[in-house]
Amino acid sequence: MRPVVAVVDDASLIRESIGLLMPGLDVVAAVATVEELERLGPAVDLVVLDLHLANLERQPDVRQGIAALRALTGRGYRVCVYSQEERRFVLAACVAAGASGVVSKALPRDRTEELFREVAAGGTVVPQAVVGILEVLVRRDCITVLSERQRQILYGRARGLSYAQVARELFVSESTLRGYWYDLTRSLSDSLRGLTPGEIEHALGLAPGDLMEFWAEGSADPADRRRWWRIGRTH
Amino acid sequence: MRSRSGLWRVAELPTTRAGVERAFSYFTAGVRLGTVAQMVPAVQLGAARSPHEAGYLACWGAAALAAVAVSVVTLVRRRPPGTVVSVLDFGLACTLLVLGPLVLAPRDRFGTWTAFQPGYALSVIITAGGVRVVAVWAASLLAVSVCYVVYLGGDVGSEMTSTAVGNVLTYVVYALVARMFFGYTRRIARDADASRARAAELARREEERRAQVMMHNGIAVMRLLTEQGDDDARARLVGQAEVELRRMRSYLRGRDAYGADAEGPSVGLVPMVKRVCDRFADLDVVASLDLGTGLRIPAAQAEALERALGSLLLNVRVHARAREVVVHLDEGEGERGGWTLTVHDDGIGFDPASVTAGVGLREVVVGELRRRGLGVAIVSAVGEGTTVTVRSRPPSPGTGAGPGDPRTSTVSAAFSEAASPGPAFPDPAFSDAS
Repeated sequence: MRPVVAVVDDASLIRESIGLLMPGLDVVAAVATVEELERLGPAVDLVVLDLHLANLERQPDVRQGIAALRALTGRGYRVCVYSQEERRFVLAACVAAGASGVVSKALPRDRTEELFREVAAGGTVVPQAVVGILEVLVRRDCITVLSERQRQILYGRARGLSYAQVARELFVSESTLRGYWYDLTRSLSDSLRGLTPGEIEHALGLAPGDLMEFWAEGSADPADRRRWWRIGRTH
Repeated sequence: MRSRSGLWRVAELPTTRAGVERAFSYFTAGVRLGTVAQMVPAVQLGAARSPHEAGYLACWGAAALAAVAVSVVTLVRRRPPGTVVSVLDFGLACTLLVLGPLVLAPRDRFGTWTAFQPGYALSVIITAGGVRVVAVWAASLLAVSVCYVVYLGGDVGSEMTSTAVGNVLTYVVYALVARMFFGYTRRIARDADASRARAAELARREEERRAQVMMHNGIAVMRLLTEQGDDDARARLVGQAEVELRRMRSYLRGRDAYGADAEGPSVGLVPMVKRVCDRFADLDVVASLDLGTGLRIPAAQAEALERALGSLLLNVRVHARAREVVVHLDEGEGERGGWTLTVHDDGIGFDPASVTAGVGLREVVVGELRRRGLGVAIVSAVGEGTTVTVRSRPPSPGTGAGPGDPRTSTVSAAFSEAASPGPAFPDPAFSDAS
């Protein structure tokens, strides 16, 4: 069955073409802003969300980035970020803000569709770079909620092993492992959201202040919205 | 030195065996000419007391001539006389012994050099190093002994019997000792030549291996440069080609980039790995190196690791058709110590049982890294990508991870291989590039 999907992207060409190029998705809404999607309120399995939605010409003051992501997850939507963003701490902030998936726009079309379907079906897609950060935080005892089995799964995934390979090593089925991975990523994103910049900097061996650019508190001031990637802990 | 030229120039010996044969020729000539020298002072007295002076002189002359002839031929041929000459030599010695009673005064047969025949026969026995067939040698020795008994004639049973028996035993014992000496020395020479040949072959192979290791990545880069590609791809490859060019130049100048000393200045592992990954931006390499921050390794080890990592990523680029490559560095915890570098690609993989490793994996990756004291494991399966694990220090037995250790559970195959110095899996998909 085709998952029902809504697309939020300020680039009209992209949002309009996803439904045409990805026949495995049933795109019922393709809008330019989160505000518009909230207004429509479609019942969908997945929202595909671009991070950078503001543009000076048509929509300079719309919500974007982490704020947009939180607005959608706050309404109960499953969100998959679809962006060209490559900074790993920004991607980590998306996971911490509740994104069920983060997919790069650089990926091939068929792979992208496959990942959207995976997230829509209840799975999670966490960028490899973010998995690496999560492993460091666990190893450095910044996140301590993991069971031994969860640590084993994280160990394998951080080294790039596929679900099938990790499942085989742990003597479980692949579907079981995907379930474990979903629970694990939810748990990790919750824990990640609760960390301070200082804690993360210490765990990663960064200098104090290195993460302020990404992990600082967001501001309600619209002028500050250009720093849409800041995770903060409110909103 | 001019005085050491010609026959004495040992350095020109093509083989140890040739040198030994030349030494035997000096020994033979020395013994034979020494015997003649011992015969000379008594010749006048012997002739005077001989019942047949002409016969005595003829025998003496034949012995002296034969000794000189054998010596000259031996020195010229640079080896002891062969079987035929030796048999003739034995024949002459026997003849002289048999004729002895006719040309010698009875009282001269023992203990004097006027009776040169027994001494001459002994010199022939000692220098029969060219007789290889045992039967010929034993028959010749027996013949000389029998002729000596004939030589003694009616004196057997007299008071000189014990001396006569002693002389026969001297023949036998000296013959055995000389044969053992020649044989054992020749065997040592053969072993030395075999060792020399093996050493030369090993040196040739080692040089070939070094050349393969040095050239492999450069050739792969050049191959990619000659293939069709856009300007961006070529620009990336040019950067890599410059790195490989520097490396090959160092090799041609006779020195490695970091020298062969594993105790050289240490190198930061994370910057080195990052530098290599940056050269392969087109591969979508995800480098998770945070767990190895601050790690340093010896320069020679870093050089080998940089080359191996470059070779692995080149192979991924050319063969693996991977969507993503993960390079993960992990400094061990607690008792495990050491560090682990994992390179995983989600490409087509290969069946390790059905393919042979190419130079890239076999030499540049596995061979070089193990020579630098690093453990290497390669795990792959068709359709499941390839995982290469490099460990700084294979865990000793009994200190391995327990069942609950995530390392054991998730990548146990890789780690068990890395822990043992056994052969790595062959590399299929990479064979062309290697």
